[in-house]
Amino acid sequence: MSLRKTPLSKQHIELGAKMVDFAGWEMPIQYSSIISEHKSVRETAGIFDVSHMGQIFVRGPDVVKFLSYITTWNMERQKDGDCRYCHILNEKGQIIDDTIVYTINPNECLLVPNASKIIEIRDWLLAHSNEFNVTIQDLSDLYFCLALQGPEAPRLLGQHLNTSVNSFQLKKSSDVIVSGTGYTGELGCEIIGPLDQIEFHWEALLDMGAIPIGLGARDTLRLEKGYLLSGQDFKGSETTLETNYAWVIDWDHDFIGREALMSQKKTKYSKLSGILLEDRGVLRPGCPVFYNNTKVSELTSGSLSPMLRKGIGLSYLDLDIDSKITLEVRGKHLNARVVRTPFL
Amino acid sequence: MSEVPDNLSYTKDHEWMLIDDGGKVRVGITDHAQDALSDVVFVELPEIGTKFSEGDAMAVAESVKAASDIYAPVSGEIVEVNDKLEESPELINESPYGVGWMVVIMPDNKLENTLDSESYRKLID
Repeated sequence: MSLRKTPLSKQHIELGAKMVDFAGWEMPIQYSSIISEHKSVRETAGIFDVSHMGQIFVRGPDVVKFLSYITTWNMERQKDGDCRYCHILNEKGQIIDDTIVYTINPNECLLVPNASKIIEIRDWLLAHSNEFNVTIQDLSDLYFCLALQGPEAPRLLGQHLNTSVNSFQLKKSSDVIVSGTGYTGELGCEIIGPLDQIEFHWEALLDMGAIPIGLGARDTLRLEKGYLLSGQDFKGSETTLETNYAWVIDWDHDFIGREALMSQKKTKYSKLSGILLEDRGVLRPGCPVFYNNTKVSELTSGSLSPMLRKGIGLSYLDLDIDSKITLEVRGKHLNARVVRTPFL
Repeated sequence: MSEVPDNLSYTKDHEWMLIDDGGKVRVGITDHAQDALSDVVFVELPEIGTKFSEGDAMAVAESVKAASDIYAPVSGEIVEVNDKLEESPELINESPYGVGWMVVIMPDNKLENTLDSESYRKLID
């Protein structure tokens, strides 16, 4: 199967990007270097082409009721223009995907699932919508998404679209939706709109000084903040409680997976924990984690924090914060400890 | 275009070698290799006195995305390592043929199977 391309493929290659396969898409992993791109986002502003992300619109009088049932969050609590990060679970409480729900108005919401989960989420929504008066429309192939992130992002957004957005709020600006969301932990926004407009926004923001950022730095940026990566930190069997994201659950409403989570709550279970390497080195997913000389887990995510210049990772562990552990890297045991996330 | 100085010898594994008057071999990775690796963020070097056979993994250079083994270009003993790389692995990116050198080996026998600059240039073209 050939890889899908974003409309900016040519521009990425002209900017010197190394292109890789990501969830069936040919995407830029880096333009200059992961470290310098990472620092650009932390210190100035970067722009990401994340057009592979999905856009599923749910409309109709029962939208709020339906999405409250489908997700861990009670959408009755959302006002128009609110964005909410939440999980979509199966009956066992296991995460199918994480997504942001955009409440455009009481009859219209937008979900932004991960690229590799679009079809699964669309089918899941369709399969559970029978009793609700809603229509579900997957417009992922017709919409782009650009993320503008970094301390300078609000200024660039103002310059570009003469608008501003608050954190987790959305605004419609001509044909696009601008939301105060992202995957870097920085100020900034994501711009979602019809595909034929992507070049206009991309070129304008680059001209204003935004630095193009690839998926490599996107990964290190999200990991420093302890954000989950779909397909890596959860890949089918993990629950919201296990990922240590209980804050995305509103217990006071009925949703798929609630009962399973209620039972799990009373038990002891491993939680996704931050790991900070004290010795020099870089961590990688799959790296074995040892406690008291016994292998207890593996890393789901691992890298080097460009800002801390230390190895960081995530692993499902049943250990207290500050527990001393070791990580096996090429046959050697490196010292590390369990820490709270975000790392930064 | 990657730089390939004419005064050095090369391996197909993208290492360069410089032989001094005493027969010792200084080793690093090529400009092409550092560019492919991108930011080098961690380097694991062997201890002085360690002996390797040609082709053994003797060091590791890690970027954010990947770890790459560096192979011994010749059998012999490690007589010097570049300690500066521990604090500043980025020297490999900044100066792969200069301050970014990795080890010095006292070879057991004379160098064979090496590429000259022209052959190495063809290899990476």
